[in-house]
Amino acid sequence: MEKKRILLVDDEPALTRMLRLNLEQTGRFEVREENQSTRALATAREFRPDLIFLDVMMPGMDGDEIAEHLEQDPRLCQVKYVFLTAIVTKRETGRGTAEISGQTFLAKPVRREELLQVVDDLLGL
Amino acid sequence: MTPSILLVDDIPSNLRILYESLNGRDYRLLIANGGAQALEIARRSHPDLMLLDVMMPDLDGFDVCRQLKADPATATIGVIFLSARDAAADKVRGLALGGVDYVTKPFHPEEIAARVAIHCTILRMDRELASRNRQLELVRDRILSSMTEGVVGLDAGGQVEFANPAATALLGAAMLDLPLAAWQPPDLSETVGRVLGGQDQFTVAELDLAATGTAPLPVELRVAAINARPLPAPASPRPPADPAGQPHPGGGDDPADAPGAGGAVLVVRDLRERQRVAAALAETNNALRQSHRELKVAQMQLIQAAKLETVGQLAAGVAHEVKNPLAVIQLGMDFLEQTLTLDQTSATVFADMQQALLRADTVVRGLLDFSRERGLDLTPDSLNRLINVSLQLVRHELVQRNIKVITELASALPEQPFDADKMQQVLLNLFMNAMHAMERDGTLRIATGLHRLRDEELGPQARAAGFLGGDLALRLLIEDSGPGIAADHLDRLFDPYFSTKPMGEGTGLGLSVTRNIVNLHRGSIDIGNRDSGRGARVVLLFHADAAPLPPTRDGATSIAAAVAGEPAPATAQSVSSPPTEVPRGEETHPAGG
Repeated sequence: MEKKRILLVDDEPALTRMLRLNLEQTGRFEVREENQSTRALATAREFRPDLIFLDVMMPGMDGDEIAEHLEQDPRLCQVKYVFLTAIVTKRETGRGTAEISGQTFLAKPVRREELLQVVDDLLGL
Repeated sequence: MTPSILLVDDIPSNLRILYESLNGRDYRLLIANGGAQALEIARRSHPDLMLLDVMMPDLDGFDVCRQLKADPATATIGVIFLSARDAAADKVRGLALGGVDYVTKPFHPEEIAARVAIHCTILRMDRELASRNRQLELVRDRILSSMTEGVVGLDAGGQVEFANPAATALLGAAMLDLPLAAWQPPDLSETVGRVLGGQDQFTVAELDLAATGTAPLPVELRVAAINARPLPAPASPRPPADPAGQPHPGGGDDPADAPGAGGAVLVVRDLRERQRVAAALAETNNALRQSHRELKVAQMQLIQAAKLETVGQLAAGVAHEVKNPLAVIQLGMDFLEQTLTLDQTSATVFADMQQALLRADTVVRGLLDFSRERGLDLTPDSLNRLINVSLQLVRHELVQRNIKVITELASALPEQPFDADKMQQVLLNLFMNAMHAMERDGTLRIATGLHRLRDEELGPQARAAGFLGGDLALRLLIEDSGPGIAADHLDRLFDPYFSTKPMGEGTGLGLSVTRNIVNLHRGSIDIGNRDSGRGARVVLLFHADAAPLPPTRDGATSIAAAVAGEPAPATAQSVSSPPTEVPRGEETHPAGG
């Protein structure tokens, strides 16, 4: 079975590295990190991920701005994405994720099990 | 006006001598040759003066004088007796009858003229004095009539000599006809009697007369003795004794000490107007104090809002900056835990690190919660229901700690607009605080009720939230049997980050968040120690007047029933269900607990 491709967009390299290590450790995903928000769309077009993690607050371009471009891009509009944010608290997201106006949110700090659960849910695994 | 003088003698030669003595000196002279004629002329012409012979055949001079004095129309005529009888007894008799002078015959014409001139002068001065007196009386009557104070003059025997219209209106005409001893109320006659009896020279008293019916009539009474000497002014030193020999005050020849002097003047002032003004002033004062208080509350709220705004921005920033590194650590630890084979010690280290991470996250989450308590999702809800639901969430811990719960929840409470989630957060926080204070084996008492607030029971937070004595409030009491709160902690309970728990337990934000939520419900929370017995006492108040009432009449009467059921404002728990144990329900853990 082909590995699912996941793109991580966050301005903090240590965080994308930790996310990548945890995801790759399962052996089921191919992961790409992008720490420059302005390059996120270009990387997505080139990498063609199945799922994108988007930090909400980033210098240059915010996560929701990137999401807007994703939905308008015919080649990327089918790609699932999930917001990763420090502003939403765990209580608001319940266990793991929250749907706020139709968007999926994952609250920092996220635990490995929650992370893998959200990925499985969104990719229908 | 030329004085007219009637000359009376039965002997024509005597009449001629009198006539010649006075003729040519600016008098109008009349003549009578007998007593009867003298009376007739006197009644017709009203002479100013009469020179009256005593010895006359028809009616002697003394009889004429007696008749003149008996008739008010002629009584003022001045009588000078003329007689050959020069015995002292005769002179005394004549003067006693009202004569002004007594001249013995034979007289010298010049002497007659001189005496008549003197008496005419005296008469003129007398008339001027009388006319001046009448003017003064008129002025006095006008002054007394126009005064709003009642003025009463009393003689030494306590009989009213005069009373102005205001006095008659205040004291009643009937009472003024009575002797002082019969005046009502008794303290009125006593007060006046003290001055009349000489015990006081001057006295001031306030009395209630109730003279004009059943309505109370408060008056100020000032009574002064008529012969009261002016009291020495305290500010000015007494002048030195006059060496010219002025009568010394208190000396025997002082007219005030003369027998027969006495009496008192009574001034009565109606105090109702003054009381009305005072009441109006007090009312204005109250309104002013109330608006001042409201202003202070508004100011406090503004400051609080500004503080929250700042804290909110800060919190969001801090949360963002802290949560990213926390996420890195969390995921890094999770990764290492998966990939490394850990021995016993390393596993303990990992567990400790995980605990530390959770704590840090809890603090940041509390900060975010704190900064976000700005809006509420209000729906009509029952405070009692919220209490029961929250109690179920902590039931497990209550049982474990062997803490007994007594609930006294008023049955007729109206529903109020509450944010159920946030109110549960408040209640859980307060229940947890109580449990932690008691540790093990204690009693948690929870009581609700509609309560008419008394001013003296309002705590500082209740006042700051705008509660006033007399307000109808929904009240929740939470009392524990723990050690209570140290005096130096009471003021700081609501400060963000103030905590009595050991480092690492509790964020210190619990009570400040709790207060914010309660304040957003337009309520207040005061925390102190119980009046009797050990333990802390938490009082939450919500405006019951603001409660949206059900449109039916039943809703309104249920509030009335709940309030009317209070026997005394001190206990609001009388309308409550009997103490119950913690409701048995499914075991649930408080969120984040």
